[in-house]
This record gives sequence, structure tokens and C-alpha cells, in this order.
Amino acid sequence: MDLVLQQIVNAVSLGGIYALLALGLAVVFSIVSLINFAHGELMTVAGYGMFFALAVSLPFPLALLLAVSVAVIAALLTERFAFRPMRKADVTGLLLTSFAVSAILRVIFQNGISARPKPVPLPAGLTGVVEIGSLHIGIVPLLSIVTAALSLALLLLFLKHTTLGKAMRAAAEDFEVLRLMGIKANRVIAMAFAVSGVLAGIAAVLWIAQRGSVDPLMGFVPVLKAFVAAVIGGLGSLSGAVAGGFALGILEVLFQAFLPDAALPYRDAFVLSFVILILVWRPDGLIPAPVSRRS
Amino acid sequence: MLGLILNEAEEAMSPGIGVPGRAWTSAALLIAATGGLALGVSLLFGNTGINIATLVLLQIAAVLALATFSGNSGIVSFGHSAFMGIGAYVSGVLTMAKGVQATALPQLPLWLQAHELSLVSVIIVTAIVGLAVGILSGFPLARLSTGSAAIGTLAFLIIIHVVLIGAREVTRGSQTFYGVPRLTTVYAAFALAAAFIVIARVLRDTPLGLKLRAARENEVAAAATGVNVRRVRHAGWAISITMAVVAGALYGHFLGAFSPKDFYFDLTFTLVSMLIVGGMLTVTGAVAGTILLAAVVQVLRQAETGIDLGAFTLPGVFGLPQLGMGLALLLTIWRRPLGLAGLHEAGPDWPRSKMAPAVPARRQQEEGGALEVRNVTMRFGGLVALDDISFTVPTGQVTGLIGPNGAGKTTLINIICGQVRPTTGNVIISGREMTGQPPHRIAAAGLGRTFQNIRLFDRMTALENVAVAAMAKGHSPAMARALALSQLQRLGLAPRAGELASSFAYGDRRRLEIARALALEPRFLLLDEPAAGMNPAETDELIRILEAIRADHAIGLLVVEHDMRLIMRLSDRMVVLNKGQKIAEGTPDQIRSDPKVIEAYIGSRRASH
Repeated sequence: MDLVLQQIVNAVSLGGIYALLALGLAVVFSIVSLINFAHGELMTVAGYGMFFALAVSLPFPLALLLAVSVAVIAALLTERFAFRPMRKADVTGLLLTSFAVSAILRVIFQNGISARPKPVPLPAGLTGVVEIGSLHIGIVPLLSIVTAALSLALLLLFLKHTTLGKAMRAAAEDFEVLRLMGIKANRVIAMAFAVSGVLAGIAAVLWIAQRGSVDPLMGFVPVLKAFVAAVIGGLGSLSGAVAGGFALGILEVLFQAFLPDAALPYRDAFVLSFVILILVWRPDGLIPAPVSRRS
Repeated sequence: MLGLILNEAEEAMSPGIGVPGRAWTSAALLIAATGGLALGVSLLFGNTGINIATLVLLQIAAVLALATFSGNSGIVSFGHSAFMGIGAYVSGVLTMAKGVQATALPQLPLWLQAHELSLVSVIIVTAIVGLAVGILSGFPLARLSTGSAAIGTLAFLIIIHVVLIGAREVTRGSQTFYGVPRLTTVYAAFALAAAFIVIARVLRDTPLGLKLRAARENEVAAAATGVNVRRVRHAGWAISITMAVVAGALYGHFLGAFSPKDFYFDLTFTLVSMLIVGGMLTVTGAVAGTILLAAVVQVLRQAETGIDLGAFTLPGVFGLPQLGMGLALLLTIWRRPLGLAGLHEAGPDWPRSKMAPAVPARRQQEEGGALEVRNVTMRFGGLVALDDISFTVPTGQVTGLIGPNGAGKTTLINIICGQVRPTTGNVIISGREMTGQPPHRIAAAGLGRTFQNIRLFDRMTALENVAVAAMAKGHSPAMARALALSQLQRLGLAPRAGELASSFAYGDRRRLEIARALALEPRFLLLDEPAAGMNPAETDELIRILEAIRADHAIGLLVVEHDMRLIMRLSDRMVVLNKGQKIAEGTPDQIRSDPKVIEAYIGSRRASH
């Protein structure tokens, strides 16, 4: 029983991070059809932001704020200088653009900062374990769950109750109509990138909290997970991204817990084969994005 | 699946009859250019040059393997480099000397030990392995929609990577796999590149290549033209993966020692960049892009360690080749989204004189039969979009289907064409029950169609657009071309047969779409608002064409239209829908005076008077 609960906590905390990551991709994709592979580099930027903030002994909360801010700035800069000129490209063109941006940013990190990992020490209070009944739960996974839940709730409030948020949701459904209504396209798109920057920043903090360092290639694994999660959920669908994130987290924890030892090295292969099965079953994902279609 | 691939190979083997000769000429030109460059580099730079030439030739082969699927299907594959890895490891185990094997792979299963195959036999073995892997992996892939399919390839990349690392007994895990004899000479690499240039270039113009490209341009229209999109994607993928696995085998025997990360994201990024920069829509582009980026990378690799300028040294920048490729990719997408080569293949353009002579389109032999809609009801949740609709479209007549907006016309068309399954009721074509069959089956059963918002294969020529339909009907490529040309002639488009569909003006696009539908030799032709957006003169021309079609073919036309003038003049019988119900059926004169029809169309005015 305890083991089951323990695994549920693991699945929820992992799924929460994946949901944040996938949501970051989905927010942008729903509006400009860009699968932003450089989302991982936004995380890396946030990580370096935290590293430098802590290196000059800024207090921890300020360092967090700085991390998220630099991710937002980086998101806006890539939008302005790399993605906006390519707006006419098709989905593949945009995806490849983000590939290129990601490769270029990595080279910049390697040469400008260091190819080696930089340590990002967490305050001592965050490394412990809480005991709830007979459960041992790490503070970091617990905080991940809380942070992910809070972020999702705030994003929901933003999308439902602010003008810009509503404009973004409308843009996801039908961008052309929104333009006809006189909403400025560039503002909505920039906002989408800013939101994805915030999500990348938060996800980066949670990611780094588990590994304790940042390096130029750090964003690679999380962006892959985000990508897979967003696809399971249904590319461009915001609720799908959250569902996909949790689905992926649960799958990984399940396979980790129940695969025989000999098969454990193949865990990711099993997870991804399962993902392919999901896609075969529902080619447009669990919760497909709304599309305006006329034959 | 295997049958389809073999059939394809057979058709490609008959030059001049099957694939147009220009594909072979174009392939020969590319081989000559590639060979010349390789020879030049080898002569200029000695042993280093030979090494570089070998590598670039292998890269050309790998990019062509990728282009064979991605170029024709439009689905960028991120997985090909991993499949190359399969080729490298499988072949490496089989050629490795017995003694080396004992130390490098002590736990190798017995059945894999001590084969010491030669290069030629190992290529044959890996090709068979590749085909099997390609066919297997193609099953899920072909079922995915275009967007998900790209993701599916990415999943393959990661899955294979994980498996290569996990299968320690055979691959040494993430450690270096060494002791592979360096059997890949520059000649072997050239032979492979040349063979792949031929395969890739010729495949483009075979029925499989054309159908794949049609599905790339417009999946819905391709299906309505009789193309089984899943099947052609599966075949294209299997062939392409076979090529990738073989290319991987030779690449492995060039490297001699490698590890799984050599076949992961970096290689994918390199191959995809080369393909995109050159232009993924043509074989010429794939070859040119590879050579260009390989040159850039070579130069940047020299510069990576710093450049000595005599008085001072420029500092080295780690990752310069990646930076160069990234910038080249950005520049290409920004300035030339179709790549360097765009839509042009090297080699002669299609000379008009060489074009196959048109043959007169065959009259439909079997007369009679009917397209029947029987008691079709469609509910979307609580909404009844169609309520118990029945009518018959006989051959040799024009049936007009009209109705105000929201009458359910589009839903009915989608049901007839197999895009949607009705809640209850049947669609019967010439006595065959077709309800719920996929669109390509319905097309094959004898229903051609055009679309309200014109769906052409834009980046294909007019002739190719129409030939796809004739090939889907099962005609040989040569016959398909001749039939297509005669359809183009009938619609007055023959002089522009070699031009891209995207360059046609609106009225011509409509006519091209009709030509394509007719090339299916359908018994029934469904025209969805053919006069939409046309001026009166164009509408008159359209009426003339449709009347000619009715006179020439014994086919049944189902015309859905808002333009009353056109439909009244053209129709023998009419069916009127309103709010999901059939409110009238009869001759145009009967319809014109039917009080229910008048009320549906101008009801509000009558009410106010």
C-alpha cells in the first residue's frame, strides 16, 4: 500500500513537471504552429540565470525570480529575431528553425559560459524528506507538485479572465478571425512566447532542484519529454498538454516500478513504444486541439 | 507490402516505357557530377581527400535514403540516423574477425559468432534486415497523421538508441564498438551513392513516387483520387529504411569504431540540415545540399581549433560546424524555404515532342448502374443533420443537389465520399455496398469528385496531377500518362501539361480538377459547387464542358450547386434538401414550381407579403 502511494507521489510530481514543459510547447504551438525545440534552451538560460544570481549571493527567492525573468526575455528575443521572420514557413520549417536556434544557443553556452556543469546549490531546507504517516516524501517532489498545481491554476486564471488570455485562447482556435477582430497579432504571439518562457523558467527550477547543476545540454532531455507529452495529449491542445504530461509521468513511473530488472535499461523504449500505440489508437492525441475545418 | 515494393521495382526497371527517360538522364547527370567531385577531391588532397570523398559519398547515400521517404511524403523523419545505426551494428558483428570478436564481444550469442562475411554478402544481409525492420516499423507509422508521423520517427530514434545501449552483449552498450574491418573504400562508397541516386530519382516518377507526392500535397484529394495513402506511405517508408540501414552498414565499415551516440541527434541534425538546405522536394537538392554542407563543415572543422593568421591566432570556437549548419538551416528556411534546388531536378525539361502521344479516353464500357443513397440519417449528438435521405443518381444523367445553407449538403457529400460514416443508412455504388468504406476505396469503386475549395497537388505538374488518378486506376505509367494527356486535351489544358498546378489561374484550376477526376474513369462524378467564384463567362464555359462530358461518357453526374442558372440548365433531375430533409425531387421544371422549394428559398419574402 505504502509502495503504491509512494509511486503515486512520484508519478504526480514527475507528471507535474512534464505537464509544465508540455504546456510551454503547447501555448506557442496552438498559436503559431511552432514546435519549439529551443524550449529546452530557455530552461538552460533560466538555469544559468539562477547560477549567476547565486554566485553573486543574491537571496534564493530573488534568484528564482531572476531565473524566470531571463527565460522570459530569452523567449521574447528568440521570437523577435528567429521565429518572427520565419512566420510564413510551414510546420516543418518552423520546427527546423527551432532545431537550428537550439543548436546555435548550445554552441553559445559552450563557448560563452562553459561546457562543464555549473553547480546550483539548493538551500539546505529543500533537500530533506518529510514524513507523512509512514510515507517518506522528498521536499523537492512535494514542492514540484505544489508548484506545478499553482502554476497550472494561475495559467488557467490568466487564460480565462484576462483580455490577453482570452485573446490567446481565441487565437488558438482561429487566428485569422482574431486578426479580423482587430487584435494585434504580434502582441498575442509575444504573449504566448512570454508565457512559455515563464513555464520554462519554473520547470527549469524544478528540474535543477533534482540534479543540482546546469550545463549547456541540460535542456535536451526535458524538451524531448515535453514534446512527447504534448503529442500524447494532442499537439496544440492546452488541456491535452497537461493530460499528456501526467500520462507520460505515470507511464515512466509504472514501467520503472514494474519492469523486471533485466528490462529496466530499456524503460524508455517501452515508454515510447507505448506512446506510439497511443498515437496509433488516437492519431491526434488524447484531447485533440480544436481545428476549424471545411471541406 | 512486399508485393507492392517488388511491383514498383519491376515497373521502374523498364526505362522509356515505365518511368520517363528523363529520370534516368537526370540520375546519370547527378552521378557524373558526384563522381567528378569525389575524384577531384581525392586527386587534390591525397589520402585526406580520399577520406573526405568517401565520407561525403556515404552522407549523400544517407541523405538520399532520408529523401526517398521525407522528400516524397513530406514527413520529415528524425529516425533515419538510428536505422543507420542498426545497419552499422548488424553488419559490424557479421564481418568482424573471429579473434577480435572474442575480445570485443565475449558474450555474443553463438548464432552471431564468427561469420566473417565479405562486404557484398553483408550488404545483402543488411538489406534484408533493413526491409524487415522497415516493413515492421512502417505499420504504426503509416497509420499516423502527417504531424504525428514526424513525432513517431522521433520516437523510433530514441527507442533504437535505448535498445542499442541496452543490448550490451551485441553492441558493447554505450562503450565504443570496435574491430569493424574498414571495408568501405571510396569505390564502394561511390557505388552506393550512385545506386541510391538512381533508386531515389527513378522512384520519384514511378506510380509509388507520384502517389506519395500527391498525398504530400493534399492527403484528402489523394484519397479521393484513389490513392491508398497509408499503403503508399508504408511502402515508401520500408524502401527508405532499407536504404538507410544499408547506408549505415557501409558507414560503419568506414568508421571502424563507433558508439550509439554516433547515430543519434547529431547525425539526425546533420542529415536533415543537408536535405533541407539542398531542397527536400528533389533528388538534385538532396545531393547538392549534402555536398554544400559537407564542404562548409569541413572548412569549419579546420577553424574549430583556431586559425593561424601569421601574426596572431584566431581563437578556436568549439562546436563551429554545428553553428555553421544551424545558420545555413536558418538562412535556407528564411530565404529559400524549398532549398537550393527548389522544384527543379537536374537534367532536361520535359520536351513537348517527347511526350507520350495522347490516346482517346476510353468510354466506360459498362453502362447502367446507379449511385444510390438509401435512408441515410446522420446525427451529431442531438442534432439531426440528415434525416432519412434517399435518392438515386443514374448513369448518363445529371442529378442536381441543391439546398440553402445548412441544408446538410456538405454532410451528405462527406458521407457519399466516405469521409464520414452515417449514423444509419447506406451508400451503394453500382450495386456494391460502400457505406463506411475509406475514400480511396470509394474512388476505386467508380466515384470521382471535385472539391468546393479546389484541392490540387500544387507542387506537381498538371500532367502528374491527372496521371496519379490514371495510375490509381491501375494503368501502367506510360498508359497513365497518355490517358492523362488526353483528359488535359479535352479540357483545353494540354499545352500547359508540364507546368505546376500552382501556376494555374482559378478557372484553369477547376478544369484541372475535373480532368483529374475524369482520369479515374469514374461511373459517377460528384462536382461540389463547380461554379463557385466563377464569373458568368466562366460559368458558361463550365456548362459547355460538363455537357460535353455527359455526351462523351456514360457517367452519372451529381452536381451540388448554389448557382440556380447553372443547375437548372444542366440537370435532368434535381434533389432539394432543406434542414436535413429531402423536400423535393423531380425535373427542373417541377422543382421550379414546387411550393415547398419556393418557400425554402424565398420563404421569408412570401411571409412578409
